[in-house]
Amino acid sequence: MNTRPVRRYEAWLLPLLVAAVLLVLWHVYSWWTEYDLTTTAADGSTETRRIRIFPTPFDTFPALVELASDGRLLRYTVASLYRVLTGFAVAALIGIPLGLWAGWQKRVYLAINPLVQGLRPISPLAWIPIAVLSFGIQDEAAIFIIFLGAFFPIVTGTMTAVQSIPLVYVRSAQNFGVTGFELFRRVVFPAALPQIITSLRMALGIGWLVVVAAEMNAVNSGLGFLVIDARNMGNRYDLVVAAMIIIGVIGIGLDWAVRRLELLDEVRWGFRK
Amino acid sequence: MTSWATEHSQAGTVFQSQRFGDFPTMKEALIARKIDATFMIAPLAMKLVADGVPVKIVYLGHRDGSALTIAKDSSVQRFEDLAGKRVAVPSRYSNQNLLMRRMMKQRGMAPQAIELVEMAPPDMASALAARSIEGYIVGEPHNAKAEIGGYGRILYFMKDLWPDFISCVLVVRQEIIEQRRPLVQELVQGIADSGAWLDAPEEGLDHRKRAAEVVGKLFYNQDPKLLEHVLLQPDRVGYSRLVPPKDTFDEIMDLAVESKVIERRMRFEEYCDTSFASAMREPRPLVAFPPSTARTQKP
Repeated sequence: MNTRPVRRYEAWLLPLLVAAVLLVLWHVYSWWTEYDLTTTAADGSTETRRIRIFPTPFDTFPALVELASDGRLLRYTVASLYRVLTGFAVAALIGIPLGLWAGWQKRVYLAINPLVQGLRPISPLAWIPIAVLSFGIQDEAAIFIIFLGAFFPIVTGTMTAVQSIPLVYVRSAQNFGVTGFELFRRVVFPAALPQIITSLRMALGIGWLVVVAAEMNAVNSGLGFLVIDARNMGNRYDLVVAAMIIIGVIGIGLDWAVRRLELLDEVRWGFRK
Repeated sequence: MTSWATEHSQAGTVFQSQRFGDFPTMKEALIARKIDATFMIAPLAMKLVADGVPVKIVYLGHRDGSALTIAKDSSVQRFEDLAGKRVAVPSRYSNQNLLMRRMMKQRGMAPQAIELVEMAPPDMASALAARSIEGYIVGEPHNAKAEIGGYGRILYFMKDLWPDFISCVLVVRQEIIEQRRPLVQELVQGIADSGAWLDAPEEGLDHRKRAAEVVGKLFYNQDPKLLEHVLLQPDRVGYSRLVPPKDTFDEIMDLAVESKVIERRMRFEEYCDTSFASAMREPRPLVAFPPSTARTQKP
């Protein structure tokens, strides 16, 4: 491993360089797929046009400006964040207690784990028809899809977190006379918390990842809807790419926010190895 | 229709047909030059031209062929009763959407009186069964599906709302029009002839029955009964008079601009090329369509 200390400017210069290289590659690809079309008019005169198939970075920037200036950027971002955070919150409210219980009680674990592992790999896309049939074409259907995406990682992460607490913690607490709910509250939960937060971070990432699928059919706002909607339009793939960029940037923001949680004093010890 | 064109090609041309489940994918295949021609809803084709995609409408696919279906137990008796209700349309770039707006205008209703939602046609019948929509307006056989399923009834056929309704049109890439004129000519002639075969005054019904069988099995994997149900009612869908009519397209253009589906008004010649329809001979049902040899292979 290279141990030369990282200079401060490198932390932002290096990713910018990689991004710049990608932008150039993208532009070259768009340019490479272009073709010439010669048309002959009724009077026999010919005209040659250059036809572009793929939007370039320069086409995408005006699309971003268009979205920002007509208010869609803000409106759709709020709508998507609301759905993702709601689905995520419901998943955490149900998933953490369930995971704690199953992690602590071997029989509960045996009962639910196979089912959880069986449902977890099913893509939220597959659930769309069921979501629409149960919740109709409104917010709840999208929230349900996001809930499904976030729920299973939280349950699995929490179960594993509890199961991997060193037995010595529990034994010594018991020796000091801490038992029952007290043991759970003062030893098990704090010991599992760092890993639970890691699973929450993963789950939020997945919740945001499935936003496009969640907003595909049921709703008429949101960034996922924007991708689908722009795709339905004639030749507005600039808007599709713009929506993808916005989704990515907000994804970075969400991840950054959850990482802040990991730095709180209450859980920080868990990461100090 | 493409099978017909293939079967009767004098030059031995094979038109390979490909089914798409949705319009966006088909549109992308067309833009990326993976397919050369397609049947597509008319306003979407016009929108593509407005957005700089080099394609032209050269012929129509059929006339009528859509219906406005509502739930069987719905209280709606006539068009005006749909006010305040939710009705699904296949796309904002569909003539079904424009027709709903035209009807609301004609009946003196507010432009937003009926809540129109976009929905993929295959989902419409089940959405109606679940009552998340009051009704839908779409091409066949999705109306027949709800009708035969017993949970939907047809409020209007197109002949009651906009006679000679235009839904799908034949769109060809400009490049093909420029470089392979005889090929496009052959395709247009084949479509016209297959239409004449389906609409033949004497044996038309018999022909349609066989077409339902072949198409149901070979291409759409749909119940032939569903297609038969539609095809055997000749005023539900027609395959004659398929030359793009300027006056109707001008009206579609006006409706599209008015409802902001297309941003700028285009001249008919910008998006339509009727030269193939003009150069065609009179459509005639040549010989019987041989189902046993219909194929979908690469040229």
